[in-house]
This record gives sequence, structure tokens and C-alpha cells, in this order.
Amino acid sequence: MASNATSYKDLTPAANLDQGTLNAMVWRSLNLQASFNYERMQAAGWLWGILPGLEKIHTNNEDLSLSMEHNLEFFNTHPFLVTFVMGIVLSLEQQKADINTIRAVRVAAMGPLGGIGDAIFWFALVPITAGITANLAIAGNIVGPLLYLLIVFGVQMALRFWLMNWSYKLGTSAIGILTKNAKEFTRAASMLGVFIVGALTCNYANINLGMTIPNGESVIDVQGLLNGVLPAALSLAATLGCYVLIKKKNWSATKCILMLLVVGIVGCALGIWAGDYTSLIPVPWHA
Amino acid sequence: MQVILLAIATFIFAIDQFSLTETIYRPMIACPIIGLILGDLQTGLVIGGTYELMMVGNMPVGGAQPPNAVLGAVVAMVFAVKANMDVNTALGTAVIFSLFGQYAVTLTFTFMSGMMAKADKAAADANPAGITQVNLISMGLLGSLFAVCAVLAYIGGEAMAAPMAALKDNLSWLLGGLGAAGGMMRNVGFAVLLKIMLSNDLWGIFLAGFAAAAILGNIPATAGACLILVAFIGVAIAINDFNVSLRIKENAGNGGMSDGI
Repeated sequence: MASNATSYKDLTPAANLDQGTLNAMVWRSLNLQASFNYERMQAAGWLWGILPGLEKIHTNNEDLSLSMEHNLEFFNTHPFLVTFVMGIVLSLEQQKADINTIRAVRVAAMGPLGGIGDAIFWFALVPITAGITANLAIAGNIVGPLLYLLIVFGVQMALRFWLMNWSYKLGTSAIGILTKNAKEFTRAASMLGVFIVGALTCNYANINLGMTIPNGESVIDVQGLLNGVLPAALSLAATLGCYVLIKKKNWSATKCILMLLVVGIVGCALGIWAGDYTSLIPVPWHA
Repeated sequence: MQVILLAIATFIFAIDQFSLTETIYRPMIACPIIGLILGDLQTGLVIGGTYELMMVGNMPVGGAQPPNAVLGAVVAMVFAVKANMDVNTALGTAVIFSLFGQYAVTLTFTFMSGMMAKADKAAADANPAGITQVNLISMGLLGSLFAVCAVLAYIGGEAMAAPMAALKDNLSWLLGGLGAAGGMMRNVGFAVLLKIMLSNDLWGIFLAGFAAAAILGNIPATAGACLILVAFIGVAIAINDFNVSLRIKENAGNGGMSDGI
């Protein structure tokens, strides 16, 4: 985040990535969530996954640094489908597209994949496989776990390889049309990106008040009242609050994180936030 | 020897639940492996199959943190084999440990938010090895916390359950606070994205995205596909803007020519 450059120094498109590099990145994609954290989720794992490609594409250190910096921003998608985003982003990096364009495409692609991946894996493949193999295991048959491993891991890897190759080719072939009207495309892509971040602010909202106020027979749930005013209002407020602190007051992301840590812990000591805990100081609004 | 192998296996499963294969940590595979280590493969297969079926309704969907399956499985195995508990008692006694597994995950995810500054530094220096380091630190930390819990269960046995429950009650506000803070931290990530993407004329688009997700996410029929549907709307807006901009550009070009300026 040190620099705010919007384009790379060296704008000559790099040569196509060879199959070996693509394969290496598919294997690296397994560690997407290696340093998962609450602030940027999969960001560092994502960057680590595409680094072999980025190092081939950006031969000077200044551009490599620029690319690494913007690829360390918030990232979250379905781990089994991530290679789809990788292929598209790498094809844009290779063409030295505008950094705002790459960021916008990355954000727009990562969001929707989460729902698709959950549906394919956690609601279909895993329960079905478990249903077939669990009974084998309970009957004491070692084939149960082996079959389970083969199916779940095998399907996952096949999908990772296929998506990487498919989306990389797709991105490379579509790029010609886009570069001709690069300025307009960047603008449209940014709109889509901002739209998706707005949606994520609501969809990923995870700040809830736990206060309840006794009111005769019934109980007033403060979060319920707030939801009536605006759903995910606290998530919107937190996002905009941090945005103002970072953009206008020049706060670092780390400083915001520390502030939220204090807000979270003090809040629970006083029984303000929702959750299954006992507040440090007994308060009437938190059971 | 057993306890060292158990610690190593737990270390690997802890990492595997988010990285590596994301398959061998499942009770179906983890339990038989622990069974081999403890010298009772048969019990491992039975607990593994039983626990896997229990977990079908308890998937890590959409970033939610279910009670931790890895420690649940490992500790249940230790109790079943070493203390000769039946399957259900073993799984029940293991619950308090799986709760601490969840705390270990929360702690790691919070701590690693702070480590992102180190990753930023590595990016600014164009230093790929620095990114590798950050990832290794995270995996090492998570694995170690889990291994410690597994060893405690192995050495302390059931006796560990009571002090752990007491610790949980006394410190619950702190752990709850970490969890609450964890829920807010993603908003910092969004703010950083917006810092660069959000030009002054795109505020409406940001709020429209928020509204679209609020509507689609709160209708049961569309909640599951919320982000896909939101993307459809977003794509329509973006393509429309792209086409309009193109036409304006073409017309501006023609106008300039005919005026001869």
C-alpha cells in the first residue's frame, strides 16, 4: 500500500506462461488458506499461489513489488475453485493491464464462486461420498477411508487443473478486445468491483449486538431493532468508518485492526456484542 | 513415542483443515490414522465413520466456524482407545477439547491479521520469500496450538476436562471479545479495497451493491445464490456503462472531425 501507482512501468506484454508454471501454481493453490486471517482472509495464500507466475511476468523489481502489493489486498473465494480466478488474473497481469482493472476483475470473480463451491462440495460431493464410504468404515473396512480420500481429493484436484487452464486461455483470448478500449473497460470493471464490495459488506457482515432489554413479559432484542432500521448496518458503519480513517486520516490497516481488537474485547467485557460468553462485569442486558 | 507421533499427526491435521489436501483432516481419514498410531485401527474406522456422518450437517460453509472437528476426532480417539470409552461417550467427552480447537483457530486468525503488515513489507521489497515465511509462521502456529491440546488430552486424560471447562468460563469474555473483533476485521479489508476503487462518483454503486445483497441475502429462496445473483446485476450495470462510454467516445471523435478543429 506504499504506492498508489495505477499502471506498471514496463508495459510490454510478457510471454505466455508455460504449462509447468501453471501446474506449479495449481499445486500451490492448495495452500490458499495457509495464513487465513480475519482482516484479509486468504490474501497472503493467494499471493503465494500466483507468485511463480508473477515472477515470470514482472521481470523488474518495481513492477513485481506493485503487483505483490495489490494482490495482498482482501481476498476470499472458494478454496477448491480458486484456480479460476488465478487464470484470469494472470492473463491480465501478463498483458500488463491497468492495476485498477486487475483489482476490479479479481474482486468481481472471487465473490460469486464461494456460493457455487459450497453447493458443489459441501452440499453434494462430500455428503454423498460420506454416505457411501462411512458404512464401509463402521463395518471395519479400510477401503472406506481410502475411497473417500480418492474421491474427494481426486475430484478437487481435477477441477483445480481444469479451471486453471481454461480460465487462463479464456482470459488470454479475450484480452485483445479489452485493451483496445482500456480506459472504458477499467471504468466498467471498477463499477462492478465497487458493486461487489458493497454486496460483500452486507453478505459477510458479522457484527452483532447481544444486548437484550427486559420489557415486562417480552424482551427487546437491540440487534433485532437495528435490523429493522437497516440490515447489516454495523458492518456498513465499520467499513465506512475504517474507510474514512484510512483514506482521510492516513491510518494504517494495522492500526484499524488494533482498534477493533480493543472494541471487541472491551465490548465483550461489558456484554455488548453477541456471543456465547459471560461478561467480565455483570450487566443487566447480557445474560 | 506414541505421543510424539500423535503430536505430529495433529500438527498436520490442524494445517490440513484449511490448506494442503483439505481432505485428510476429515474424521473419516484422520481417525483411522490416529488409530494406527495408538495401535487400534478398528476403533479408528468405527469412530471415523460415525463422526463423519455426524459432521455432514456441520460443514465449514461461508467462513463460519463450527466446533472444531480435528481436535474432536483426535481427542475422542485418545479417550476411546486409552480409556476404553464407547464411541458416544468418547465423542461427548471430547467436546470441551474441540471448543479449545475453535479458540486456537480464532487466536491464530486474529494474530495473523497483525502479521499482514509483515507481508506488506515483503511485497514492498518485492521479496517472495517473505510471503512464504508469513504462510509458514501461520501454519506452524496453528499446528503447534493443536498439537499442545492433543498432548494435554493424551497425558491428562479426562482429568483435563474440568480445569479446561473452568478456564473457558473465566476467560469466556476475552475469547468472546477476540471472536467479536474477528468478525469486524474483514471490514478493514473492505475499506482498503474501497480506498482505491471508490471514486467520488461510485458511492451510489457501492450502496446499490449493499442493497442488492441485503435483499437477495434475506430471502430464503435466493440466500444461497446471493452473491451469484448480485454479480449478474453488477455485470449488467458494468456492460451497460462500457457500451455507453464507447458510444460517447465514438461520437466525440466524429464531432471533432466534422468541426475540423
